[in-house]
Amino acid sequence: MELRKTARKALKFGSLHLLFIAVCFIALVPIIYALAISFSGTTNLTGGIFAITDFTFDNYLHIFTELDFGTWLGNSLILSIATVLVTVIPSAFAAYAFATMSFRGKRVLLFLLLILNAFPQVLTMTALFALLRNTHLLNTRIALILVYSGSNSIFAFFNLKGYFASIPSSISEAATIDGATRPEILFKVVLPLARPAIIVTSILVFINCWNEYLFASTFLTGKDLYTLASGLYALQSNNLARNWPQFAAASLFISLPVLIVFFLMQRYMVSGLTAGGVKE
Amino acid sequence: MKGTARNERKRRYENSAYFYVAAILLLVALIVVFPIGYTVYISLTNMNLYHWFDFEFIGIGNYIRAFSQANSEFLSSLGLTILWTIANMVLITLVSLVLAVLLNVKGFKGRNVYKTLLMFPWAVPSYVSILLWRIGIFNGEFGLLGDIARALGSDSFYILQSYWGAFFASLLVNVWLSYPFTMTMMDGALQSIDQSLYEAARLDGAGFWRTTFNVSLPEIVPIVAPSLLMTAFMQFKQFDVVYLLTLQKGAQTGAGLQTIITYAHTTAFESNNYGLSSAISTIIFMLIALLFSRFAYREAKEGRN
Repeated sequence: MELRKTARKALKFGSLHLLFIAVCFIALVPIIYALAISFSGTTNLTGGIFAITDFTFDNYLHIFTELDFGTWLGNSLILSIATVLVTVIPSAFAAYAFATMSFRGKRVLLFLLLILNAFPQVLTMTALFALLRNTHLLNTRIALILVYSGSNSIFAFFNLKGYFASIPSSISEAATIDGATRPEILFKVVLPLARPAIIVTSILVFINCWNEYLFASTFLTGKDLYTLASGLYALQSNNLARNWPQFAAASLFISLPVLIVFFLMQRYMVSGLTAGGVKE
Repeated sequence: MKGTARNERKRRYENSAYFYVAAILLLVALIVVFPIGYTVYISLTNMNLYHWFDFEFIGIGNYIRAFSQANSEFLSSLGLTILWTIANMVLITLVSLVLAVLLNVKGFKGRNVYKTLLMFPWAVPSYVSILLWRIGIFNGEFGLLGDIARALGSDSFYILQSYWGAFFASLLVNVWLSYPFTMTMMDGALQSIDQSLYEAARLDGAGFWRTTFNVSLPEIVPIVAPSLLMTAFMQFKQFDVVYLLTLQKGAQTGAGLQTIITYAHTTAFESNNYGLSSAISTIIFMLIALLFSRFAYREAKEGRN
């Protein structure tokens, strides 16, 4: 009797394991496939994965020697860091005001920001293009930093507002009784307490910029201004037929930092996303 | 008496708040609101490839064109977007629910390993994985599908070139991209269920299925409903999947698959008809504002403090 129970249990969990192994394999197929191809010594792979003969690390080396990978990496870093600064500072100020203060027009502004946050920015691309052209900002980094900051600031604002509101008001009140002014409370009490939320929000904004290809490839067309995302995008649209193993290597290399950050922050991602109500 | 009333108002309304919100409002006004306004303005002009600078005001002509029979593409893309949203939501909900329930089978040891592996589609930058799907799997010459087709003795297989082929390929990729988020939400909700409910169900002699349908599901529905609603909205405005798989500039597969958002984009950046494109964008803005205002109103009211 005991034995039959154990056997039934083993069968149950055994089949669950088999099922999950199959599902995980299916879910990972594109990544496994790209990984396999990225080590292939044969370029121009008609015949796909079955045509891999040589094993080589050359594709990973070549993304640095044959492509302008270093320049792309630098551009991605400049744009993403600048956007984080231009986005998170105003968002943190505004989130503080909305979370802790009362003022006329607050509800209307909140309503408008929620609606604006729902609009896909890609639909204003024509208007942005015309505006940037008229202000002679096309093909400058400032243009892209501004465009990214506009959409990301609302996202960062809602992320931070949720967190600021969760800080007990008694802490600020105690500081007020001690004679602290508003700015002092913000800089000495609220911001230090909110450090985890600010870090997580900054990283999310950073990743959003790191992963953006469409505006980057439309507004920055000079080759020396390519980011990793727009460079990779250009690579597959121009150069791909010649070298798909190199594209696979570049793809995986670009994804690696994002993957690491994602799994480090997995817990925060989920709570941050539900609090902000947005997945960019 | 009068003084306290004034103090009361002063306490409730703080003018310094405007100083804190000024920077973000300026940014949003400049980069988000102004371009939307400009889009509405362009939608009333004949701006296109031949009239980049010398465009004229033409009234609601572009709107009439968007809805006219001759240009049925907008209406068919609207229909496709609705079908796309429904199909995605059904599949995403089913896949993530089944996975989340199975991950939570009592006593199952592999839970954390499998959960982490199943998160990968979410963790990889989506434009990268969409391109990997396009080239690695769907490409007829050096993709996996082509390999399989050839191994089975048929010709190379170009799934992205037909309308429904492209639709199902895009659907597959989109479900693949989206299920980790909903699965995580459902898993979290399942974890939060009070264990005593399961004990009680077990004492009543309920098996796995009855427990799932009578305990787990009713408990998680209210928790995951908001994120499902949000996911549905994400599918409605999904752009990257259809665009990167079939519509990239210079690399269109000819499937003719268009959601309203890709249609607005290609009308501007392929056909260079900026006036018509802006009219479509404006219609989408109004749709979103209509769908979203109830939710936003409720949120704004609750978010009072």
